[in-house]
Amino acid sequence: MAYSDKVVDHYNNPRNVGSLPKSDPDVGTGLVGAPECGDVMKLQMKINPETQVIEEAKFKTFGCGSAIASSSLATEWVKGKTVDEALAIKNTDIVRELSLPPVKIHCSVLAEDAIKAAIGDWKKKHGVELPAAEKASH
Amino acid sequence: MNTVPTSAEAPLVCWNCHERTLGTVFCSSCGKLLELPQGIDYFALFEMPRRLWIDMSSLEQKFLQLSWKLHPDNFVNASEQERELSLERSSELNDAYRTLREPVARVEYLLAIEGERKEGEKKQQALPELLEEVFELNESLDELREAKASGADLAGLKARLEAAAKSFQEKLGDVDGKLQAAAHEWDAALGGERATRERIMGRLNELLNRRSYIRNLVANVAKELAEV
Repeated sequence: MAYSDKVVDHYNNPRNVGSLPKSDPDVGTGLVGAPECGDVMKLQMKINPETQVIEEAKFKTFGCGSAIASSSLATEWVKGKTVDEALAIKNTDIVRELSLPPVKIHCSVLAEDAIKAAIGDWKKKHGVELPAAEKASH
Repeated sequence: MNTVPTSAEAPLVCWNCHERTLGTVFCSSCGKLLELPQGIDYFALFEMPRRLWIDMSSLEQKFLQLSWKLHPDNFVNASEQERELSLERSSELNDAYRTLREPVARVEYLLAIEGERKEGEKKQQALPELLEEVFELNESLDELREAKASGADLAGLKARLEAAAKSFQEKLGDVDGKLQAAAHEWDAALGGERATRERIMGRLNELLNRRSYIRNLVANVAKELAEV
């Protein structure tokens, strides 16, 4: 199976690899995994509590090329967005952008889950309850 | 909840003579090869209860018996429908045998037919502690990779990789041991309370998830070692 050019590009030059201090109150950490394929993905965001703008995003993913590309793209996309805008990112947007084949759709789902988990963690740190609909994603 | 289907429970009607039949392979009235009974699972195909500990020699024996009965060579001169049925049922039988023969595939299959692990319907969720642990183990493997890339102390690196390989292998052994124990529990609870069975299935599912991560780690460290 051939990866699309965009996947190869993100795989070879992943954006925003690294980590942010987990204990920083402004940092939300999302750690998600897909046991079926053994992938694990960590996505962190530094969020301005005043403006709710995501100022910094980092990721580290152990998995296939599509999982790495999906999380790399996710960090690019969330940077500069508000929390609500970031929560509106759907896995299908990632699938379209990276031209992921059907067998790799779960990688994009993982990236969407990671965004939601990171924001959820940040909200928890700030004592904001998630609406029930967001908690029960998928 | 599916009850364990047995040939006696499933009312089979022969496609050829339209009589009700007692057989599951050949019609008891007209002797034609039967269609695969609807909803029959691999355990029922081998006329076995849904146990996780299987006597391998009786599984193999049953497989040989059935494959001999269903073999396409027996139907060269039969009607087209029977020839097709023979192909279809032989291929199903081979899938069933391959699945039940492998302990891990067997557990995965059992959880699928019991509704615990359905593709797409119920997404697999890994426990946070497991993810943390797997992430850390992967990071340590990554550090070793980086050390390799920088060309530092190869002998020391090899020793560290070997230690990592040993530790992952031990974890795999540990998870396999726990899977076996849970499989015994499952067999003991067969026909017992639904709640108990669900608890054991949850446990089996967790262990399968863990196993899939550890197996990847074992494979990845082996790959690094091969290149040192």
